[in-house]
Amino acid sequence: MKHVTLKAEVDTQLCIGCKICQKVCPVYAISVVDRKAIIQDDHACRGCANCADRCPQRAIKMVERDDPFDVGVDVSKFDYEKIRELCATAHLNPEQVLCYCVGTRAEEVAAALLSGATTPEAVSSMTGMRTGCTIECIQPLLRLVEAAGNELHPNPNGYQWYGRTVTAWDIPEEVKKKYDSRGFYFDEDRALLDQIAAIDTREEK
Amino acid sequence: MENIMHTPIMPIAPKPSQYGIDPSLVRKRAAELPGMVSLKLQDLFPDLPDVIYPGPEGALDKLYEITKDELRKVDMSMIKPDQSVNVLASHHGFTLFGGQPYALLLKAIRDIVIEKTGCKNVRLRAGVGMRFRETEEYMKRYGLDVYYEGKVKGIAPVDEGIPIETEVGTLYGLKAVYDADWIIHAHHTDVREVHFHRQIDKAVKPFGMSYARIETRSTYHQNLGPRAANFTARAIFESDLVQSKFAFAAFLNVGPHGVIGADADNDLYALNDRATFIGCQIYGKIMTLFGEIDECISVLDFPCPVPYVFSAGVIYANFTGANTDLYDMDNTPLPAYTWYTEAFYGKNGKPLLDSIPPLNPAIKLCVHNYAWTGYPSAFFSEHIPTVVVGAEQAKMFDTEPMNIKYMDHAVVAKTTESAMDFAYKMTGTDKVIIFDGAMGGLNCSESLAKLLIDRAPAVSQRVENELLPKWFRQRGVDISVLNSLKKS
Repeated sequence: MKHVTLKAEVDTQLCIGCKICQKVCPVYAISVVDRKAIIQDDHACRGCANCADRCPQRAIKMVERDDPFDVGVDVSKFDYEKIRELCATAHLNPEQVLCYCVGTRAEEVAAALLSGATTPEAVSSMTGMRTGCTIECIQPLLRLVEAAGNELHPNPNGYQWYGRTVTAWDIPEEVKKKYDSRGFYFDEDRALLDQIAAIDTREEK
Repeated sequence: MENIMHTPIMPIAPKPSQYGIDPSLVRKRAAELPGMVSLKLQDLFPDLPDVIYPGPEGALDKLYEITKDELRKVDMSMIKPDQSVNVLASHHGFTLFGGQPYALLLKAIRDIVIEKTGCKNVRLRAGVGMRFRETEEYMKRYGLDVYYEGKVKGIAPVDEGIPIETEVGTLYGLKAVYDADWIIHAHHTDVREVHFHRQIDKAVKPFGMSYARIETRSTYHQNLGPRAANFTARAIFESDLVQSKFAFAAFLNVGPHGVIGADADNDLYALNDRATFIGCQIYGKIMTLFGEIDECISVLDFPCPVPYVFSAGVIYANFTGANTDLYDMDNTPLPAYTWYTEAFYGKNGKPLLDSIPPLNPAIKLCVHNYAWTGYPSAFFSEHIPTVVVGAEQAKMFDTEPMNIKYMDHAVVAKTTESAMDFAYKMTGTDKVIIFDGAMGGLNCSESLAKLLIDRAPAVSQRVENELLPKWFRQRGVDISVLNSLKKS
């Protein structure tokens, strides 16, 4: 869950319609229409500030909302076994924190996917995940979206994300052999990640 | 003992930035408080190498000349007069020793490239961590925009990317990094995030981080594991694309106590070995010494985000893990703080694995006198009692996208003095360590200074005789590497 306290505000006098803002928005809240950036529904903005921080004209600023609101998906409404299965496919523990800024856990992303989200942007909009730094959680987000049976199609006209990358489970053996004497602990880390993913916190309780 | 305690070193002034409160709101520095002293690091560890800066008047001029001499030794014959060169910089260099030394390195690189090659199309590309405007601020502050004749660009991980084919598949770099014929990797040997890179390929890291797209950075922090993460950087550096453009690396050679000199090389791995193994020796001692602190109040007081404020070259994030040996790859699979560790805390607020160490229990309370937003820091305030000084600073954190929950766990004091009074009463300790980036030494309370002075000799011996051999063995070399590096 995210408490959304900010929204983007465009100074149309300064805006030159370059579209950078719409290319970096993780929830497609901002777009350029008639050469001016516009936020059609300001409740679609999750307040990450990417648009403001990349605008070459500094035409966008983040302002405090006078109607802050929460976004999130109620995990308790979904079959937890299905959530566990989905997370396991992505090598994640349901309680694992994926988004360090918002605090989104894997189980909430899984719940968003079970409730019908099929893209990273939809998950971000529903949970607030990847609307802080917008950097570090893209890979587990892509892993889960794919694990839910969705094909990944990056936006050819945007910079939102390009694709999934290597994980601990698919580093080639010859690469490991070539470099492990330099202090990289490939197999040990994979075992650690597997150990985390396998923990059933319901049993612990 | 008292004769090596000095009056506190005044830290650099607060800086105007969109990531921190207005400097006028920082009314008191912790170093000004009663009972604080400073220690010089060479008094604690006499074998630390001499530094050029901080130094007497003219030290920066001397550094500039030494840096240019070092650069003149590098082969730049691959760069032709009609070609283009990107000098690649990263934000953290500007936080070291007031920022001017790193800015001088960047100026010297431009000067010598032009001098040796006749190429004048030299551009500066400055990468960031998570604060997308940060290096834009630095380039203006240090006049680099003028020095590079406007050919400067702040780059961020959400900017347009390019695919980079590597031994482990496609990773993604920033297009603006690689849009020149040649690239020059301008960095430093400061150890900084040991919890992330674990002193493995430290000198290569920016290729997987500040020069990289979000997909690559997330690979590092989410896909590979805490001790394999930095392979991401090596995979990119080894790629045909990077190898076809890499001209040389130029590093500011620093220690926890100052700027030692400059180090430039066409062979990044040779430079990486010097940065890695000498770095283990000169930072390993102060890191290990901080692990001897039994109880303390930590004060944050520097213009950068919470985990990156530093004391004696040790960032606060690493002090929160000083109860473990961050260099030990076998016995510390997960440091007390790293993002993988943070990820592995369950909904009950406890680690998913019993073997995950807690944040350094010696830190009884944190006084956040002055530190920036722009890094997800709620994990620290959630697990370490935290007092934030000033309602304005608290408000800034409470509305910042990466720190929405920071103030859920922290309390606010009106002044530095009232925050410290509260801290003393709540913790019962008078040991205080100040993370204010004091140059050449560290600021702390007299009681903590006594402990550090007392423990330093034994720590020095332990690092030399026991820990360094272990750390080196885990990194595929033995202790003789130090001699071979000195000879080279």
